[in-house]
Amino acid sequence: MTISKKIVLLGHFGVGKTSLVRRFVENTFSDNYRVTIGVHILKKEVVLPENQVNLIIWDIEGNEDISKTRSSYLMGSHGFIYVFDTTRKSTYENLPADLDYIKSGYNNVPVIVVGNKSDLVTKTHLRENKQYFDLAHYFSSAKTGENVETLFKDLTKKLIK
Amino acid sequence: MLESYKEQFLYPKVQFIVISGKGDILESDDTLFPFKKEKNIIRCHPFFESVLPLLNHTDNSISFSCVHINGKVCDINCRTFPDKNPLIIIHDLSEHYQSLQVVAQKRNETVIESEILTLQNTYLQEKEAFKRIFIANFSHEIRNPLTGVFSFTEMLEKTNLSDEQFDLVEVIKSLCQDLNIMINDILDLSKIEVGKFMVYDEIFDFSELLDSIGFIYATKARQKKLRFHMHVDDKLPRYIEGDKTRIKQILANVIENAIKFTQEGHIELHVKLNNKRANKVNIQFEITDTGIGIQKEHIKDIFTSFTQVHKDSKYPGTGLGLTIVKNLVSLMQGDITAESEPCKGTTIKFNLKLKFPINYREPGKKDKDNRKVLFNPKKKFNILLIEDNKISQIIVLKILASQGAFFLDIAENGEQAMERVEETQYDLILLDIRLPDVTGYELAPVIRNLPEKKYAKVPIIALSGSMLGDSRKKYKKAGINDVIQKPFQEQQLLQKLHKFLK
Ligand SMILES: Nc1nc2c(ncn2[C@@H]2O[C@H](COP(=O)(O)OP(=O)(O)OP(=O)(O)O)[C@@H](O)[C@H]2O)c(=O)[nH]1
Ligand SMILES: [Mg+2]
Repeated sequence: MTISKKIVLLGHFGVGKTSLVRRFVENTFSDNYRVTIGVHILKKEVVLPENQVNLIIWDIEGNEDISKTRSSYLMGSHGFIYVFDTTRKSTYENLPADLDYIKSGYNNVPVIVVGNKSDLVTKTHLRENKQYFDLAHYFSSAKTGENVETLFKDLTKKLIK
Repeated sequence: MLESYKEQFLYPKVQFIVISGKGDILESDDTLFPFKKEKNIIRCHPFFESVLPLLNHTDNSISFSCVHINGKVCDINCRTFPDKNPLIIIHDLSEHYQSLQVVAQKRNETVIESEILTLQNTYLQEKEAFKRIFIANFSHEIRNPLTGVFSFTEMLEKTNLSDEQFDLVEVIKSLCQDLNIMINDILDLSKIEVGKFMVYDEIFDFSELLDSIGFIYATKARQKKLRFHMHVDDKLPRYIEGDKTRIKQILANVIENAIKFTQEGHIELHVKLNNKRANKVNIQFEITDTGIGIQKEHIKDIFTSFTQVHKDSKYPGTGLGLTIVKNLVSLMQGDITAESEPCKGTTIKFNLKLKFPINYREPGKKDKDNRKVLFNPKKKFNILLIEDNKISQIIVLKILASQGAFFLDIAENGEQAMERVEETQYDLILLDIRLPDVTGYELAPVIRNLPEKKYAKVPIIALSGSMLGDSRKKYKKAGINDVIQKPFQEQQLLQKLHKFLK
């Protein structure tokens, strides 16, 4: 049975939302940063043991203030991926508050928290920012592909439960 | 006219599509996208697939801004009605959004860049701090074993050694000393960096300090066939209150650098009075050389740690000297600058803000005189030291500097020695027994037998590390008047000189 599910990637600009989607959907990566304005919508079939899911991925523009995200983009979403950039503190220092915000508006919608650009980060840095990084479900790298497939699959599984 | 504009700028920019509740395309004007050929809207773009479930409400309107659809950027309005089929209106606003994209791109890149810079700075600072602590601890730890090596070497030096063994021991000592200087430099620097560096105030004879600097560096310069001139302002106070050792260190570092990077010409030291008020004195120092110079773009680097502008094994060193100088100068509230022109030379200028005692008379001067000064500075003697070992050179240099009664030339081997004696008439020769190219026993007779017998009567004193007894006869045969056992004390050398120069 094929089901369609809408997911939205949230997070500050430049954290690698577009790159994660690109890596997942096309298996490509570029070091050049091209800012997303508005929303790009892509589709990818995810095959799970029992189901086939059409993920419709909304790659929206980054925003430092999650409450300023256009609500039309979030409407009807079945899942969220909250991406932060492990190398830039400004992208994760409001993480707990942002997660509360999502919960308050979309209580039953699963959220996966991802610390991206793991290829750039040192062990010391991970240790020093433990209080924030403990909130992450995955550390990913769109550049090397680390955990990209896994995190999308994991969210997909949560969507069909 | 207006119509044609509308056609160009307005009319083609909007598309209307009517769909069924299940998404089947009922009507489309296809002004932007050729959707009519598709049966269902969800095949046109995934956007519609995710929006369709929202369209089963009646009497509603949802707007989506800035959606990327098949290469265009559109605002999309979806309307549902109680009694009619849903309508989708697509506005193509690509041009408008294109300009927004440019603005956002600039803004985001700037923000990210500045964040990354701050991050890199923190990392660099942490790394620097770590490096400094590491270096400080490490240099400190390394000093103990080094001191051990040095003192055991000194003990070894005093045992029964052949000349050859003695020379080897001297080499070890000299290497230890080089290492020690480097470690002290590094320690100084790390102390300066963590703000633990102190300058001490003591009253000292400033002109004596300058005299000894003058003597030492004139000698060192002559060794490289350079001239060293010192010009001292006679308005300067004789006694100064400040950190004598550090002031000496500053001058030594700068002048040694000047000598190091100069192959021919001269080095000049100017010491001038900037101003004197109450008990404060501001002294200007300028060291000019005619050396290889520094490229304009590198001048700022010469005061930076571990930077050597001339990366050539011809000019060894850690590159710490001038960094320490700069820090010491600023600890003494001075400024330092460098001017240079490649192939022409370099000038280093700095000033020190010091104190000086008013109406000061040096205490206990008489005792000191009796003990130390054997020679009358009014009559100067020309001495030639023929010695390849750097430590011995420095020891002799320092001992003679304290007297103010000598000119010293240094030759490092037999060949240089012959050049010197032919050029200059010396009053006394200090001759190391083991030289790289010849022994003292061989060299002394050659000097004695120079044409016109100009050295027939000049005292020649051998410096020897050997304690082996039978050499007395050998010395005499070679025409050597006396011998001093290495290592020797200051007074031993001075007494011997005094004996022959009376
Ligand atoms: N080293 C490294 N760089 C990455 C990674 N992911 C993204 N980048 C780089 O980070 C920059 C921003 O990536 P994007 O994917 O455009 O970021 P975004 O979250 O989509 O940004 P907005 O669209 O402005 O919200 C680009 O230069 C990417 O090449 C990663 O995992 N490792
Ligand atoms: Mg993006």
